[in-house]
Amino acid sequence: MENILDRLIVGKKNKAKIVLLPYTLLFPAVAVFLIFMFYPLFYTIYLSFLDWNMISPLKQFVGWKNYITLLYDPLMPVIIKNTLAYIVILLVLNCIAPYILAFILSFVIQRGRNFYKGAFFLPSVISLVVGSILYLWILNPVGGPIAIIADFVGITIPIWTKTQGMVIVVLSIITTWKIFGYNFIVVFGGVTGVPQEIIEAARMDNVPLHRIFWDIVLPLSSATGVYIFIMTIVQGLQYVFTPIKVVTQGGPDNASSNVIYNVYQEGFLLYHTGYASAFSLAAMLIFIGLLVIEFKYVEKGIYYEN
Amino acid sequence: MKISGNIKYHIVLIAALFISLMPIIFAISTSFKELSEAYSNVLGIIPIKPTLDNYLRAFNGLPLGRIIYNTFIVAAVVTIFKIGTSLLAAYAFVYFKFPGKNILYFLLISTIFIPFTITMIPNYLLVAQMGLRNNIIGVILPQLSDATGIFLIRQAMRLIPTSLIEAAQLEQASHLQILSGIVLPLIRPAVISTSIMFFINAWNEYVWPVLILKDTSNYTLPLALQLFISSEGGTDFSMAMAVAVITMIIPLGLYLVFQRYIINTFTSSGIKG
Repeated sequence: MENILDRLIVGKKNKAKIVLLPYTLLFPAVAVFLIFMFYPLFYTIYLSFLDWNMISPLKQFVGWKNYITLLYDPLMPVIIKNTLAYIVILLVLNCIAPYILAFILSFVIQRGRNFYKGAFFLPSVISLVVGSILYLWILNPVGGPIAIIADFVGITIPIWTKTQGMVIVVLSIITTWKIFGYNFIVVFGGVTGVPQEIIEAARMDNVPLHRIFWDIVLPLSSATGVYIFIMTIVQGLQYVFTPIKVVTQGGPDNASSNVIYNVYQEGFLLYHTGYASAFSLAAMLIFIGLLVIEFKYVEKGIYYEN
Repeated sequence: MKISGNIKYHIVLIAALFISLMPIIFAISTSFKELSEAYSNVLGIIPIKPTLDNYLRAFNGLPLGRIIYNTFIVAAVVTIFKIGTSLLAAYAFVYFKFPGKNILYFLLISTIFIPFTITMIPNYLLVAQMGLRNNIIGVILPQLSDATGIFLIRQAMRLIPTSLIEAAQLEQASHLQILSGIVLPLIRPAVISTSIMFFINAWNEYVWPVLILKDTSNYTLPLALQLFISSEGGTDFSMAMAVAVITMIIPLGLYLVFQRYIINTFTSSGIKG
């Protein structure tokens, strides 16, 4: 009798423990997220309704004023134009280019696969500050190696840090140096998931390579494709902050600023805390849009992939 | 015909590789050149008069020992904490059914898409309030909220056959025993590569430390390197290259040792949740 009672109690205890256990396991992770991610997120929403300079004890509630200012900010069109330029260049270099290289490496030539994968990934582990300083020197218009080589053929390198348009291209290239390898590895994983037999059958029938790429490989690896498309934008726009900050500080005349850098400039250089918060929330709309796409398509698995 | 076709593609790949690896070789080479040679023998890969002078000057001019120590502590603490919490969280997500599971997972993974600008100002105020501005603990704290580890380790855990876990549960093994005795050995490659990437990313972190660190002696390596940058390219270029080499040597070394694990983990990381 006592024994059975004992067991019953133990059983009850165990049950309660089992229900609590997953929450206990999650607690440390969730705690840091609450403090350093979710609380700040809501605090930014609160700040976006204030007129404040981060230091003054005086915080003035101004309602939607910061959001209205956003609409009439003369910088806004410039920032949006620059951000779109960054997105387009980053997508070409880090989404389209890795796709083509991964296709070549998995179906056209197979020798040296591991070597190429390993070598392409290598710059991904290096700090973007290192990347920035390296490219500053390599592309230095006066006396840098590219300038010297270009000089032989009679080309002069423009002072790109001070040239509108050009500056975005070069900063995107620096960022590409960092993110290309990771994207390449992920795309390669998706592309090699396409069954080899289908490709071989198509090649037997002399289907041209670009058709194989468009009609077979691209649709069959579309989940990876969408994922890398989104990550290029999400990560790329944030990564490009580092070269902007260390090389141009958004200049010349905001020509290299983007939605991420502008928040930093408003918040930490101009101390428009409320406005910077409103701006960052508006910019997050882009990212939320991408998140919706991600969960709709990628997480559910697109088309045929697996 | 076929062979020449393939060579064409190898040339494309090698050219792409050349562009991405050349800067690294270039940095290493220049760090061993004398300052005058850095400007006169720009294209030479092997220094005419190799010298360690740049490294010595870097260590004399900056509290580099201290800076390397700071960088190491930040990277190590961030890595250990994130791996530990990610393992526990992933275990809960994979092996338990509990109310709120899906919504919680969704919320955590969504944070990967939140740009750092959203949390930057409140985190700055928070860290300042804690009196941790200009302190490496302040550098560490906000970096701990990162969901990529939970995602990657959950992916790996899901590949373990459930029959293994069920068998262990039949034998009354505790969850701690299952985690350490069955799960951990099977997902070792994913844990290793995730740890290495955590370490490397924290080592390279620039955005957050640059906001809160003020004194050079509290700097991490990327901040120290930034001291050498101006939009004209800087003045003491060969010394800057020495600091650049010091900054990248640890990540590069770790990558070269654990390359196989890292490539495999990330090859399969993109596909599905």
